[in-house]
Amino acid sequence: MIRFQARFVLALVALALSPSLPAFGAAPLIDDEEAAAEEEEKEPKDRYLVVLGADIHTGNGEVLRDGRLLAKNGKIVAIGYDDFEVPGLDYDREVPADERGYELEILDASNVPNGRVYPGMVAFSSSGLLGGGGDYRDSIDMFNRNMLLGLAAGITTTGQTSSTAKLKRYVPGNFSRDYDFDGVVIGGKTLSTVSWGTAASKRSAREKLAGAAAYLRTYRQWQVDVKKDKELKEPSKSGVDSTMLAVLRGEIFARFSADYQDDLSGIARVAMEFGFRPVITGCREGWVVADELGRAGAMAVLTPRTRRSKDEQLVAEGGSSIENAAILHSHGVQVAIIPGSRGIDLGGIAGRDIMHLPIEVGFAIRGGLPDDAGLASVTTVPARLLGVGHRVGTLEVGKDCDLIVTDGDLLHYQTFVQYTVVDGDLVYDKQDELYFAHIRPRDDSLLAPLVPFDPAEVPIEEEGDDEGEDSEEGDDEDE
Amino acid sequence: MRDTMKKIGSLLVAVAIATTGASASEVVPATPGEPGAEGGLAILTKKALCVPLEGPQVVNNAVVLIRDGKIEAVGPKSKTEIPAGYAVFDAGENWVMPGMVDLHCHVAGTFDLNDMVYLTNPGIRASTAVVPEYGALKRGVAGGVTSVLFIPGSGTNVGGQGVLVKTALPTYEEMEIKNPGSMKLAQAGNPERFMFGVGRSFMNYNTRNTFRRGVAYAKRWEAYERGEGERPEKDIQFEVFRSLMADEIRVSTHTQIYQVVNMTIRMIAKEMGVPVFIDHGTFDGWRAGDIAYEAGVNAILGPRNIDVPTASFINWSGSNPERIQGVAAGYQQMGHKMIGFNTDSPVIPQEELQLQAGIGMRYGFDDTNLEAVRGLTIIPATTARIHKRVGSLEPGKDADVLIITGHPADPRSSVETVFIEGQKVYDPAVQRRRW
Repeated sequence: MIRFQARFVLALVALALSPSLPAFGAAPLIDDEEAAAEEEEKEPKDRYLVVLGADIHTGNGEVLRDGRLLAKNGKIVAIGYDDFEVPGLDYDREVPADERGYELEILDASNVPNGRVYPGMVAFSSSGLLGGGGDYRDSIDMFNRNMLLGLAAGITTTGQTSSTAKLKRYVPGNFSRDYDFDGVVIGGKTLSTVSWGTAASKRSAREKLAGAAAYLRTYRQWQVDVKKDKELKEPSKSGVDSTMLAVLRGEIFARFSADYQDDLSGIARVAMEFGFRPVITGCREGWVVADELGRAGAMAVLTPRTRRSKDEQLVAEGGSSIENAAILHSHGVQVAIIPGSRGIDLGGIAGRDIMHLPIEVGFAIRGGLPDDAGLASVTTVPARLLGVGHRVGTLEVGKDCDLIVTDGDLLHYQTFVQYTVVDGDLVYDKQDELYFAHIRPRDDSLLAPLVPFDPAEVPIEEEGDDEGEDSEEGDDEDE
Repeated sequence: MRDTMKKIGSLLVAVAIATTGASASEVVPATPGEPGAEGGLAILTKKALCVPLEGPQVVNNAVVLIRDGKIEAVGPKSKTEIPAGYAVFDAGENWVMPGMVDLHCHVAGTFDLNDMVYLTNPGIRASTAVVPEYGALKRGVAGGVTSVLFIPGSGTNVGGQGVLVKTALPTYEEMEIKNPGSMKLAQAGNPERFMFGVGRSFMNYNTRNTFRRGVAYAKRWEAYERGEGERPEKDIQFEVFRSLMADEIRVSTHTQIYQVVNMTIRMIAKEMGVPVFIDHGTFDGWRAGDIAYEAGVNAILGPRNIDVPTASFINWSGSNPERIQGVAAGYQQMGHKMIGFNTDSPVIPQEELQLQAGIGMRYGFDDTNLEAVRGLTIIPATTARIHKRVGSLEPGKDADVLIITGHPADPRSSVETVFIEGQKVYDPAVQRRRW
């Protein structure tokens, strides 16, 4: 792609440009070579990415048919049909790349049949995609095969034990700058596990919540009283559970791991009583008590293909249901979906691991989940749970330019990711990697099947603005 | 006798429809007093995936007529009259297709059928372990699987005889399609654990030994039945070879990796002349796709569905260093045309048979002529020699019919109703949805 097919693509962008977008007015214009050289030493050049030639699914419900997206330094700065202005780009002459005061890459996806642009997917959790452990700024393996396969699957962000990280791959030649270690981790711990397995743990959680709630009441009263009496001491936090305090203050999510309906009902009750939104992983029998969970504002992380028979000793409904995600969603529970296997499984049985996340969503759709909720379950909802919803999960101006270009509906079982972009850098191109290049190769690929040459069927070429060698031959237009 | 009469009756109806252009008055009415005399069932659908082995695969705006547990006719609405007295079931936008057939199932009963008595046990029968309405199988029904080959495990070179059963009928007798339904052969990659461990050379020696004796046994009986020679003594270890040599059933072979798949083709199909099919066929087994097809050895593939880069996994297949190769796509690219899918349930849950076709397609299997649908239905039915009863929507076959919301390879396509032999065995509109 990017590979900047200089003339053609530049001409195309140039045509699209108009001097109307004020946002770029402030960007530095570099006039002469000396200044450019100086500028280079001081700070890296601005980096632009234009994505065009495909339908843009923003993840908010909007679809821009054959829309365009512009990113600057890894952030989305414009989406739409408007012409984009890239400052400093001289439309009247072809400026060689090394003379430009900025980097420009153009991802022209018109070579992808049924091309669609989606936000990069967010895996609520995964294992082994980043290669390292602990602090990924120090330990990320940017050459990791599983990271490549994760990007090939369309995942650009993943939750880890206590942080949220990006699949930032190192692609030699693409970068004229250092690898951005600091950009790897984009979020800290947002979920705190509350034990809810036994009667004792439930009682303990409730007591801690009650203690925290009582403290907050005292604290709020103190906030009022201290205005009259400046000497009044802040109430002591001694004995107050700091995690539950953070939960009630909305600073962190309380995460419960629960599957049975009585456990789930209990979580809903305690959440409503103390006023917080619980995050429930598992949630197998959520469909039985979906109305309670919906009222409590619960959010669920589930695997649609979970299987468990109903407990025959119980009269009440129970067990797993393929309709779980759909029923929870219809009751207002936000649903994030993860597959049964969180890693990349190369054992030969495909369709059940993180590499097949959209197929897992497909099973929720089988159970009745609407398509848009299916997309949200692997983009906006996990992003929200991981506390990075302001940066990733949708394609919006101001957010990170993490996107994928697919060859069809993301949730269709045959769809492949053709390109993956993280922070405005193309980090995966299906035709450039070994793994999937041979499957339905793109026409622009060396692997594409040869079309037998039939002189009678050669179309008469219509030349564009760029001068081609045979431009005189294509002149059958009326004048 | 009554069954025969019924069969003749429905055949007559089918013939009448086929030859007369089917106006209602010309349809042979049911004999009063017979079961189902009040009429049959007409299913209306946007699309009937009929998938016969030969001929047109799809009828749009179709009517499927079912009577006495059999398919009576399939045709376009405009040309197919619904006989008077038939109940009409309008499937709306949904599609209709034959029930799916899985030739590698271990969940039609308890798993106590992997007895490792000898290294080859052709006399052991899976039929004795069948449990009607077994839980895991019930979910399989909800996934559209109506016929399975329930087989012994691969702990020995010959694990025993499989049995072909319908998945959702209340007794073993009603379930049984064919017993024995197959003979299970495992050539490598599991029988090694027998006793103190055996290697490929001894396993192949012992398998050859068993097959030679079995084939000889069957030939002695053939000769006797032709009136040549004395009546041989009955040997329950080798009885199954008589069914095999008559091509009533086939050897289902746990075989994978190019070298071992080659051994299946060479030893069983060519050297022994015993009808056989590839079951698994995975890793780089697809490289033998051309010679398998040439030798008439069908490929029923799964539960593995991709051949992965071996460098960092297991190196024993020795191929494919770098790409993720679809197994089914590989066989197809080698020119094989009789490719089906299996689950090895519970390795892949029984109800996910359709995903096996979906993954096949994802990784390059071409479905232009409904190859994926055929691989779930008529190909396995033909492979197991039950194609006269199941595997396609054709007059005279068992009315094992699915109502499905779309292409069966799509995991999003939900099976809405399942009929087995004309009986509605799964209907989430009136019972709890299972899948």
